[in-house]
Order: sequence, then C-alpha cells, then structure tokens
Amino acid sequence: MSRELFVLTYGALVAQLCKDYEKDEDVNKYLDRMGYGIGIRLIEDFLARSAVRKCHSYSEIADMIAQVAFKMYLGITPSVTCINKRGNKFSLILNKNPLVDFVEELPAGRSSLCYCNLLCGVIRGALEMINLAAEVTFIQDRLKGDDVTEIGITFLRKLEDKKCKKK
Amino acid sequence: MERIALLSPVCSPHLQNYPLYIRSVPTENELKFHYTVHTSLDVVDEKISAMGKALVDQRELYLGLLYPTEDYKVYGYVTNSKVKFVMVVDSSNTALRDNEIRSMFRKLHNSYTDIMCNPFYNPGDCIHSRAFDNMVTSMMMQVC
Repeated sequence: MSRELFVLTYGALVAQLCKDYEKDEDVNKYLDRMGYGIGIRLIEDFLARSAVRKCHSYSEIADMIAQVAFKMYLGITPSVTCINKRGNKFSLILNKNPLVDFVEELPAGRSSLCYCNLLCGVIRGALEMINLAAEVTFIQDRLKGDDVTEIGITFLRKLEDKKCKKK
Repeated sequence: MERIALLSPVCSPHLQNYPLYIRSVPTENELKFHYTVHTSLDVVDEKISAMGKALVDQRELYLGLLYPTEDYKVYGYVTNSKVKFVMVVDSSNTALRDNEIRSMFRKLHNSYTDIMCNPFYNPGDCIHSRAFDNMVTSMMMQVC
C-alpha cells in the first residue's frame, strides 16, 4: 500500500475531526480513543508477526515498542530513554514522523492539537491487552514549535497479577 | 538590474482565475506584474484550446514562452488539473535557458503538490506556506 495514501488518510481523519469538534481537547480525546481501538487489535497482529520473546522489565517493553513495533508499522525507530529513577517512565524521541510529512504547522486556532494523538491511543490500547496499564502522552511536539517530537510512556501497574502474558 | 517576477496564479476549474500565490523580486512595480500575469492568462487559455482535442493526451505541461515584450518574457505552465503557473522574467536576463525554466516550473509543481497534500489546506485557498516561500526564494535567488 502506498505510504502517501496512508499519510493522506490520517490527515483527512484529523482534518475532519477538526471540522467536527471545536475544542482541541475534544479532537485529541477522540484521536486517542480511536487509537485505543486500533491498539487493542493491533497487539495481536504484532505478537503474531514479531514472535518476540518475553519481556522482564518495563525497559525491555519500551525498547520493544520503539525498536520493533514502530519499525514494523511506521518504518521509524524512536530512541528510548528512561526518565525516572523508579524505572517506569520512558520517553521516545521521534526523529522522523511520517504522519506529519505534509503538515507544515498546525492551523490557526489549533495550537493545542496533538496531531498524532492516535499513536498514544494505539500504544495505550496495545499495552492494556497485555495487562499493563499505562499513560501515554506527547511531551513535546515539533508541530507545536518544540525541537523534537517526544512521546512519554508511564507504566502504572499490571492489570492482573496472576498469569500475566508479557510481550 | 536583474529582475524576476515569479507569479503563480492558479485557478480552480469551478471558479474564475484568481491568484493563489504571487511573488516578485524586487518588489517595486508589483502592480505592473499583476497586470502582466492577468493578461497572460488569456494567452494560456488560447494555447490550451489551440491544441485541440486530438492532442490533449500529448499536451505537455510546459507551455513555453507565452509572449515576449520589450521589457520581459512570460512563460507558462499548466497542470492537468488546470492549475496555471506563470513566470515573468526580465528580458535583459538572457542567461536563463529553456530547460532551466522547465526545471523551475517542475519544482513549483512539486511544491504545489506537497501543499495540496496538507490536510489543512483547502483547494482554492491562498497559499501561505513557509516551505513554498523558501523554495520560491531560493529559486529566484539562483536566477537573479
């Protein structure tokens, strides 16, 4: 499938949401919700296709997301760093982001729009299906004027203790 | 003094010809260039219709020199979606060759395509893109 078609489809989705909802928070919320719906399904495809080994730590999971999942679905490899001492907060820095290829800047009046918020929902949904609750947000966004695009993943807790299937 | 006026009036097939983007270097006499561009649109339309139905498939996008005058030469380029690009160049600039003009139009066309792919750009809006401005500036600096 053509990459342009994918990028244009995503752009059309965001543009339509912007027309449907006046507030940026609403658009961000619905993007996240859609992403969540994708993530809970995508995880099965990911696990089947990648045949990854069991992960034993949050850091391994974050590496897996950045180096395997992002690579598989978007063709990019964000760099991962752990940003707190407890070891449950990670930051993924995206050097390239194909979703924003054709978007130069956010339209006027949409300064708090998280254009790629779908990605946050996808990660959150996927992690939930393997019994990990996580908060995923954009810490920095090039479209908003920051230097880099940075996604923050905070692992909250395991959803059930017994028989956890880890990635 | 070298002078290039780069103007890209484009039109949607449904509406009148109106400019989506106009740029000239240097900027004095801008009104004169607006007028020149407007009159050259007639020549563009003439060239397109002169090709006739039989040749529509083979019609090149680059229309070439539309008409020369004392002070300047006007070149045209039309995409298959009827978007028109017009370039006005000082006649004294003899160093500019045909294939350079062709490649400039191609760059313009490519940048225009990128703008169209921006989900927040509505076809028919005026073009306010930094990337497009930068591309045009560098192109004009190269020639001036």
